[in-house]
Amino acid sequence: MDERPNDRTPEERRPDASMTLLTSMLERPLDPSYQAAADRRRVAGEAPATSTRTVLVFVMMLLTGLLFAIGAQALRPKPTAAATVRDELVSRIETLQSHSSAQEAKLAAVSKQVRDLEDLSLQQSGSDDLTSQIKQLEVGAAAVPLRGQGLTLTIDDAASADADANAGNRPSGGFQEGRVTSGDLQIVVNGLWGAGAEAIAINGHRLSSTAAIRFAGQAIIVDFRPLSRPYVITALGDPQGMQQIFEPSFAGVYLDQLRQEYQIRSSLATSEDLTVPGDTSARLDHAKPLSGAVGSAPSSTSTQTGSGSDSPTSVPSSPTSGPTPNPQETTQ
Amino acid sequence: MIPVLGLLAGLAIGLVIDPSVPVWLQPYLPIAVIAALDAVFGAVRAVLDGIFNDKVFVVSFLSNVIVAAFIVFLGDQLGVGAQLSTGVVVVLGVRIFSNVASIRRHLFKA
Repeated sequence: MDERPNDRTPEERRPDASMTLLTSMLERPLDPSYQAAADRRRVAGEAPATSTRTVLVFVMMLLTGLLFAIGAQALRPKPTAAATVRDELVSRIETLQSHSSAQEAKLAAVSKQVRDLEDLSLQQSGSDDLTSQIKQLEVGAAAVPLRGQGLTLTIDDAASADADANAGNRPSGGFQEGRVTSGDLQIVVNGLWGAGAEAIAINGHRLSSTAAIRFAGQAIIVDFRPLSRPYVITALGDPQGMQQIFEPSFAGVYLDQLRQEYQIRSSLATSEDLTVPGDTSARLDHAKPLSGAVGSAPSSTSTQTGSGSDSPTSVPSSPTSGPTPNPQETTQ
Repeated sequence: MIPVLGLLAGLAIGLVIDPSVPVWLQPYLPIAVIAALDAVFGAVRAVLDGIFNDKVFVVSFLSNVIVAAFIVFLGDQLGVGAQLSTGVVVVLGVRIFSNVASIRRHLFKA
């Protein structure tokens, strides 16, 4: 490939003359002027090659190196500000998530400890009636996990609402028919309370007397935690009795209508052994513990918990009746 | 050896002082780098062929860079800058590969 082009006389017409551009590019990669200069020097009686150790060559190579370095540094894609911010946000979210789950585990452990200590001190003070009263109130306040027989009501978006394609994700905007709304869940949950449910959890989130079911964007929020479909409502209580009351009630008819009008899927199943978790976020915002003995009768403290306006579901016909300021909360 | 020292010194200087390239010059940098590479490999091959000439090297280097930059500039004015850049890269790339193949033959006889 090296010497061939120079062997040929210009008069010879090459068979591939129509592609001279390509062939010259491929066959003579070296600048022809090198050969010409060497020929000139040969004619003049000098060595064909000059030294590579001249100042000119050094300066040229210096410039080349400079060009490479500048080119690489100027053109290397720099991390944009947006990417940096995004990475930082992602790491912050991850840190906070692990922090929050660690704190939740700690909270569960500590509340168990508190309950044990309560039991202990009550036993030592020898008032059994208080122990049973606290147990009963804790059930009503959704502070402890419960198990028993009950109903499982599964509600899901209509199959047409492209819900199956992206399970767990909700669209970012726009209302779609065929999607379960927070209002639907509120009506159903209230119907279950009315049917005599003693404890209700949605997707493993216990509904306490202050829990709210709300809409944020397109997501259903229970107690400030977003839910993903399908929505499994676990209601503890007498299964047959609840079903008999629930189905002809307003909530049952409403659910039927949803099924007929919007193809929202729902199924009701009875079960002998269901569990609902305790509500770890149970706390008192305004109520103050009574000073003095725990055993003193809880009188009318200001039990205005929660804002009430944003929690339409907070009408629990809880198994314990009457206003229940919870003295056991004071230990937190 | 001296040219290699020059190259390394240039690289070091460029990396250390890290000059900021004006934005209008940035589109020409990649093409200029390719053209410079082509000139350097051509020079190495000429050295091995025994026909190196420093003036030819300088002239071919400068003309390579200037012509390549001019083609890109013209392409930008005509709205076909990307296509012309691709053409320059292809031509110079083919030349670089052929020269490197020849250098390899000289050095390793393979």
